Amino acid sequence: MSDGNIPSATVVQGGKLDGDVPKRGDDTGKQPVYKRRLSNYMLDKRLQLRYILLVTILSGMISGSLGYLIYQQRHAASESIERDLAALTQDDQNLKDFQEQVAASMAAEDRALVYKMIGVGIGLVVILSLYLLIMTHKVAGPLYKISSYFDRMREGRLGSVSALRRGDMLQDFFGNFREMHEAVRTRMQSDVITMESAAVALRAKAGDSGSLAEALDALDKHLVQRKKQLL
Amino acid sequence: MGAKPHPQYKRSWKNLLLNKRYQLRFTLFMVGISAVLMAGLGVWVMKEANDATTVAKARVIGETCPKVPEVIEVPAMNEEAPVPMNIDEPAPADEPAAPKAGAKDAKKKEEPAPAPAPEEAEAPRQVKKDPQADFLTVKALWCTDAECKPEMAMPLIVKVKNCDEYVKKKLEDMMAVDALKSLSIPVIKCESGGEPYSVADAEPIHHATVQLEESSMTITPTLPTDFADRIVSHHTCEMRQASSIDSLEHGRLRILWVLAGTGLLLMAGLAVYGLKMTHKVAGPLFKVSLYFAKMRDGRLDKVYNLRKGDQLVDFYEHFKTAHAGVVQMERDDIERVKATIAAAEAAGMGDHPSIAELRTLLARKEKSVE
Repeated sequence: MSDGNIPSATVVQGGKLDGDVPKRGDDTGKQPVYKRRLSNYMLDKRLQLRYILLVTILSGMISGSLGYLIYQQRHAASESIERDLAALTQDDQNLKDFQEQVAASMAAEDRALVYKMIGVGIGLVVILSLYLLIMTHKVAGPLYKISSYFDRMREGRLGSVSALRRGDMLQDFFGNFREMHEAVRTRMQSDVITMESAAVALRAKAGDSGSLAEALDALDKHLVQRKKQLL
Repeated sequence: MGAKPHPQYKRSWKNLLLNKRYQLRFTLFMVGISAVLMAGLGVWVMKEANDATTVAKARVIGETCPKVPEVIEVPAMNEEAPVPMNIDEPAPADEPAAPKAGAKDAKKKEEPAPAPAPEEAEAPRQVKKDPQADFLTVKALWCTDAECKPEMAMPLIVKVKNCDEYVKKKLEDMMAVDALKSLSIPVIKCESGGEPYSVADAEPIHHATVQLEESSMTITPTLPTDFADRIVSHHTCEMRQASSIDSLEHGRLRILWVLAGTGLLLMAGLAVYGLKMTHKVAGPLFKVSLYFAKMRDGRLDKVYNLRKGDQLVDFYEHFKTAHAGVVQMERDDIERVKATIAAAEAAGMGDHPSIAELRTLLARKEKSVE
């Protein structure tokens, strides 16, 4: 069936080739180079932020209550020590400085504990958020890529489809998409060949004049356009 | 066009797990993080609860209960006639003051005093041989300042601070040793460990030997008037302590179960919520996959909207436009093929084999966009 003008459907491996992240309406032929950037990690804000916020808030609440309990316990222990010290020294004026020193030291230690816990909490939230950002990016990335192919399909462009990157999720879904894309492309290519061969046969019999010739010219034009779309 | 009703899709629990890999990964991650944090919280809370319970138990145990009153053997003696004791001491100085009576008494002294009636003499002994009384005596002598539970013919386990010193001191006490012997208690052991102390080998310090002569003495066990009340209050106190300790232990276990239950509930709730949340992503993906299958088979049906609450709305809009783009390509082809067939038929070439091929193509394309 193939006459050599229509390229066969190919699957490009590696994920960095033509049309990986095409710009809408980019007809210049220049291929945009896709790079992993931190700014690219937030591809689907709604999807990613929802999950990140849920896990982060939940973890923050649990670790916050843990931290509060620890602080409360520590503070109660400090107060108890201060009371006992006061009882031991019987509020002796000579030992007042010592008592104040001990109280200040305890308060400083309590504060240090709070700062430490806040630091650990912030660290936990930051690490969790970054990890979740990367994790959700592995879902949002393939969706973004497929969306780009959808945009091309909307314009009638059925080029080749490159594979997902290693580590990306939704591989099965992407497989379904690629299968569909290749099937549509192959069918269109086959249709082009059928129409082209019919046009050639009809032109040979009808010549270059009359309404049939005009219709065949229009068909040729349509086929040229279609071939371009299938490249 | 509207001949085929659109199949109604219903949300069902069976359909909740549409994309196992994606959904389980996210849900398990969320559940795992929460489990780790909850476990940390639980361990810490239980540590605090254990400490608090130990302190509270020690406080309860530290409360002193009223002691069990001792059964004291009080010698019932004639006040008017003090019993002379042969302890190498001279007779009381006022003795000669009553020579008449003294002479009479002196005569009486030479004669052995009549033995008391057997019933009277044995009465105190019978009290002593009563196992319950022996038990109470041991408790009174050994277990008032220390914790112990005497049992007939069993080692006596003593729990007290400086136990060895306590036991040694007690073993010097004749009454304490006799009390143990009366219950056939062979050895005393400290709860904290160490060598047991044999009761048989105990050498109580013997005080000055008293020899009673020419006197009659009836030893009568006397009980305090509030003996029963004190016994009751002692055991009530011990039972209250045991109950308090039991209640504290229950409280500790309750905290453990509540923590475990809360943790499990949180995990289960999060798992369900995680699955539902990811289902709102997996659902649209599943739906799009169904359309992919139709498109692959050349059926470009109408694309319906997502359900309320579904995620990936933007993604789905992209898909709809892509679907519309493919439909438009087919329609463009149909239009062009139709025009070509019409022109060929007008030119009298309707029977040409190429036109037949174009007609087949046209039929397939028209069917695909129905």
